[in-house]
Amino acid sequence: MKSIYKVPRGKLIRVDCVLDQERNEKIKAIKITGDFFCHPEEKFNAIEQGLYDTYFEEAALLEKIKKIIHEEKLSILGFSPEDLAKAILLCTPMCKP
Amino acid sequence: MNIRCISLQQHNAAMNMALDEALTESIGSGVAPATLRFYTWSPPAISIGYFQSLTEEVDSEECKKNKIDLVRRMTGGGAVFHDKEITYSFIVKENNPLIHKDLLKSYQHICGAIVYGLSQFGLGAEFAPINDILVGGKKISGNAQTRKNKCILQHGTLLLDVDVDNMFSLLKVPNEKLKGKLIAEVKERVTSMRHCLGRLVTPEEMQQALLKGFQKTFPVPFFDGTISPSELQKALMLKTTKYLNRQWLELR
Repeated sequence: MKSIYKVPRGKLIRVDCVLDQERNEKIKAIKITGDFFCHPEEKFNAIEQGLYDTYFEEAALLEKIKKIIHEEKLSILGFSPEDLAKAILLCTPMCKP
Repeated sequence: MNIRCISLQQHNAAMNMALDEALTESIGSGVAPATLRFYTWSPPAISIGYFQSLTEEVDSEECKKNKIDLVRRMTGGGAVFHDKEITYSFIVKENNPLIHKDLLKSYQHICGAIVYGLSQFGLGAEFAPINDILVGGKKISGNAQTRKNKCILQHGTLLLDVDVDNMFSLLKVPNEKLKGKLIAEVKERVTSMRHCLGRLVTPEEMQQALLKGFQKTFPVPFFDGTISPSELQKALMLKTTKYLNRQWLELR
């Protein structure tokens, strides 16, 4: 599933996300790209790795994103945790051409 | 504190990014002083931000066909087409009292040098958060920061001229059907020195104006300097092992 979300007064977030096949409710893999900033850059992976097995719903996503940003001491410019949760939830199955 | 100024040099994309990173190492370790560097890119190149997806953003085939270099930056931000522009990098130790600790404020502060540089041409420019500089409400400069090797590095581009159609032939757009509309929008939102002044400004002329801007913004002595042999050696190593490496280019 993919999404593209341009944060108002912020940056563009692209999400590519796979949910579990049995119940379609937990994240099994996620890639977050875009023109945002995160310091230190190398630690941004912690968000993608940390979202593994997180429920695909707003409260769970937001809690996990906030926790990782705090624990890894990430400074992000271009989106808030709420914006990222929204971008993830906007993911829809891709239409095959 | 003095600031070393390294005047305009032209390199390929990988070497330009390798030099920026090599300078953070020597400056961060205290071997070299704070540095302002000006450069251009040959062949023309597209740089993508650290967090951008190469395949989503760039038409690699089209770049190859047109002999356009491709490189991933160590800084975040968006894709930049480096052609008919000037790039600067400004690197200081992160504990330097000249620089604001707050990220957004430090962008605004350093971008102030660019705004002042543009005023040398009679242009009224403004900083537009997060990382842009506008003239007449249109973007003329994009900037990006990283904090690495105990340094703050900010580099940025200033458009001397712009060919939006050419740029879009090299970039991918989310929706091909809307490509025409998107190009029209970008033409509305982006400007260049040529558009503002009705004449071509050379990189050398722009460098002079930007240097004045930095001198005004950071009132310490600037001196003409060069890249040291050990910095050059480090850059050559980073060029080969990192910036020319497919693994780095395809990182995301």
